[in-house]
Amino acid sequence: MLSEQLLADLHNLSRADKLRVVQTLVTDLANDLAIEESAPSVLPAHITEAEIWSPLEAYGAARIMQEVLDEYKRAHDQS
Amino acid sequence: MTNLERYPYLESRNAQGEAMPRPLLPLTLQYDRQSVAVDGLLDTGATVNVLPYEIGLALGCTWSERLRAVALTGNLARYAARVIPLIGIVGQLTPVPLIFAWTQAENVPLILGQVNFFAEFDVCFFGSSLAFEIQPKGSRPSD
Repeated sequence: MLSEQLLADLHNLSRADKLRVVQTLVTDLANDLAIEESAPSVLPAHITEAEIWSPLEAYGAARIMQEVLDEYKRAHDQS
Repeated sequence: MTNLERYPYLESRNAQGEAMPRPLLPLTLQYDRQSVAVDGLLDTGATVNVLPYEIGLALGCTWSERLRAVALTGNLARYAARVIPLIGIVGQLTPVPLIFAWTQAENVPLILGQVNFFAEFDVCFFGSSLAFEIQPKGSRPSD
């Protein structure tokens, strides 16, 4: 059941998280429609097959990876 | 030893059979004593480097809790990823440490992004002639 609180929470998400929610729901819908074989697809094939592999806003990952890289460089500079 | 290398765009084909030239850099990745030759996509919009699962395995990497976990975005957000440092060798340039988000996704592009490929190399794209030039950081006289 869609509650007002859930809607409010969704509005407060960052742009990246909103995009992730949309992608997840589109994937769910596509899977549901694939199961219902007789149901016509509501999405063009090129949309369901679109793949965005580029980690555009993975800032947390970037920070952690920089930390690991700095540790790696320190360890290898000492050896 | 030259400090600047020029590469042509390489043709890349999608699942629909459509092809397009893209800035793919041939390089060798090393982990311990293992090495693998790959083509990495120069992706200036990517915040991090991404290593496909099967290439990590080919390098002898072991998926382990000891590797720090990271959350990726886009389609890769669905897959677990862990941080692994490798050595990258581009042509005749000096080898450099490259840090990767090793994703459990297979058959995805090997992505070279801001952390830390574009921190180690300066790249100039010549899109009109479908080529790019690459040199190590600090190579330009003004740097």
